Order: sequence, then C-alpha cells, then structure tokens
Amino acid sequence: MKETLRAVNNKKFQKILDQKKERMKFLLSFCAHCGLCAESCPLYRNYRKPEYIPAYKAINSLGKIYKKKNNIDLKLLEEIKELIWKNCVLCGRCYCPLGIDIPGMIALARSICRSYGIYGVYPHSLGEPL
Amino acid sequence: MENSQFYLFIRGPLLWVAFVIFIGGIIFRTLQFFRLTQKKPPLTYSPIKNHEERYGKSSTLGRKMQLLVELKNSFFGQNPVVALVTLFFHILLFIIPIFLLAHNLLWYESWGIKLLSFSESTGNILTIIFLTLALFLLLRRLVVAEIRALTGKADYFVWVITVAPFLTGLICYQQWFNYQISLMIHILCGEFMLIAITFTKLGHMIFFFLARFFVSSEYTLGPGTRIWK
Repeated sequence: MKETLRAVNNKKFQKILDQKKERMKFLLSFCAHCGLCAESCPLYRNYRKPEYIPAYKAINSLGKIYKKKNNIDLKLLEEIKELIWKNCVLCGRCYCPLGIDIPGMIALARSICRSYGIYGVYPHSLGEPL
Repeated sequence: MENSQFYLFIRGPLLWVAFVIFIGGIIFRTLQFFRLTQKKPPLTYSPIKNHEERYGKSSTLGRKMQLLVELKNSFFGQNPVVALVTLFFHILLFIIPIFLLAHNLLWYESWGIKLLSFSESTGNILTIIFLTLALFLLLRRLVVAEIRALTGKADYFVWVITVAPFLTGLICYQQWFNYQISLMIHILCGEFMLIAITFTKLGHMIFFFLARFFVSSEYTLGPGTRIWK
C-alpha cells in the first residue's frame, strides 16, 4: 500500500510533464465537454459507456495528472492505466469538432505512465479471453 | 444621478477595458498557437494516387455517393440534431449582437459606423430561438448520462456567462422589469462575456478557427499547413 501511495514527483516525472505542459494545458483549457467526439470512437460505439468517450479519457488521464501535479501517486497512475490502455487503442480516429489533438494527449499520458513502469497488458496477450 | 454615472462608466471606460482584454486575448492566444505549432515538413514519401488520378474522373453519381458517405461519417451524420442545434446556436451567438438594431444605433452614435441591422421583431425572435437552443444544450448536459459524466461546474458557469447577455437583452427589449437596471445588468453581462473569452474555455471561439484551419489533419477546413510541436 505504501508503495502505491508513493509520491512520484521526482525530476524525471516533472521533466516529462514540463516538456509539453504549455501545449497540453492549452488544449485542455479549450475542451468544451460537448461529447461530440464520442461517436467517432469505435470502442465507444461498441460499449456506449462514458469511460470510452475520447474527451473523458483525455480529461481523466492527462487532465488529472496536470491538475494534481504535486500530488500524484502510483495509485492514480494505476487508475489512469485502465482508461488509456484498456479503453483506448490509440487508433487516432477520434474527431474533435474544435480540433483538439486527443490522441496526442492520451499518448503523452501513456508515456508518463510508462516512465513509472505502468503499462497496459492486453488480456489476449496473456492468453485470457477477450 | 448615481445610476447615470454608473451607466456612463459601464458604457465608457469599462467597455474599453472589456474590448482591450478581448482583442488582447485573441492576439495572445493566436501568438501562443503559432508558438506551439510548427510548419508541416514536406512529405518524404510519394502519396498514394487519389481515386481520380488512378481511375479517371468519377461519375456524378460516384461523386454524390462519396459526398453522402463523407456526410454520414461526419458528426452531422452521426448526431444530426445536436450538430444542427450547435451550428445554429453558434451562428446566432455571433450574428445577434452584431446585427441587432439597438447595438448598431450605439455604433452609429459613437463612431458613425452603419451596419446591416435586423428589424426589432426579427432580433427579438432570433434571441428567443437562441435561448431555446441554449436550453436544449443545458438539458442535454443534465439528462444525457455520457455528457453529464464530462460536465463540471465550469461548464455550467460558462453556459451562464454565454446566455446571460441574451436573456438580459430580451428582458430589456420587453421591459419586463425596471429598464435602466436591466440595461445596466445587460451591459455588464456582455462585458463580462467579452473578458471571459480570454480566460475561460469560451476561448474555443479563437481556438476553433486556428486549429481547424491551420493544423494539418484529415478534417482540416483550411490549408492545414501546420502541425503541433
């Protein structure tokens, strides 16, 4: 438990965050939360759940990371893992009417998680049923 | 007397402050956009020949089919009601304040500028349509589970900032309450909206044109000559 609550605010982490901070904050600040990106996601069209809406995935992964900049722990990254690996295949088909680069945001969230050894394992790669 | 002094203040210096912040915000956001993007590098491979080059000019029916498929895949095809409501909501949001007769009289009084104007009754009807569309968008936020999951307090705040100038404008026109006080509240709401465009997600007013016209993507509406850094 202690391990999962360990703060991850070290230099390596901050460097990744700072590299694209301005661009990501710029993009996050304009999301109108209109939900019009939903229908462009093949996974959302299959499951019809809010967790599959592209904007939801970006806001609740990268958005949370930037929001809790000084208060991020491994538990948060583990929660985000589900959203950005299980609920997104990064196919790049998401369409934002405002022109927000959603795949770019999810890709950065993945990089951040990966830098802490947190990454998605697809069920079928372990021989589990889909 | 106090009222008229306050009226002169909000019609004069405060309006200038709002305009300066609004124009300054547009300039700042535009510069920020160009700083965060770069020119698209030239392609290092030969692009696949398009349909026309490969098979010759397609028939009229073929072109129509292609357009229909593109329309079906766009969000106008996927969610036509919301798409049309959003489109008309934004068109009215722009044209009502610009072409309203009462506003144009102020432009003329101050700077001698004459713009095309709606008749008073047209302005009134368009405002009512705008408020109805805004109500639809609010109900969508409250009722549709997917959109509710995305919505935060800031979204309701932005909705109020956007709708308030139109609602108070209608109240002024209809003179439902004390006209002078309604008018001052209307002016303050309008100025607050102009200021908020720079600092809130209403900034998508600027971002939309920059991102959709300049950033290269499958859905670009313009030259698409830039990419994110």
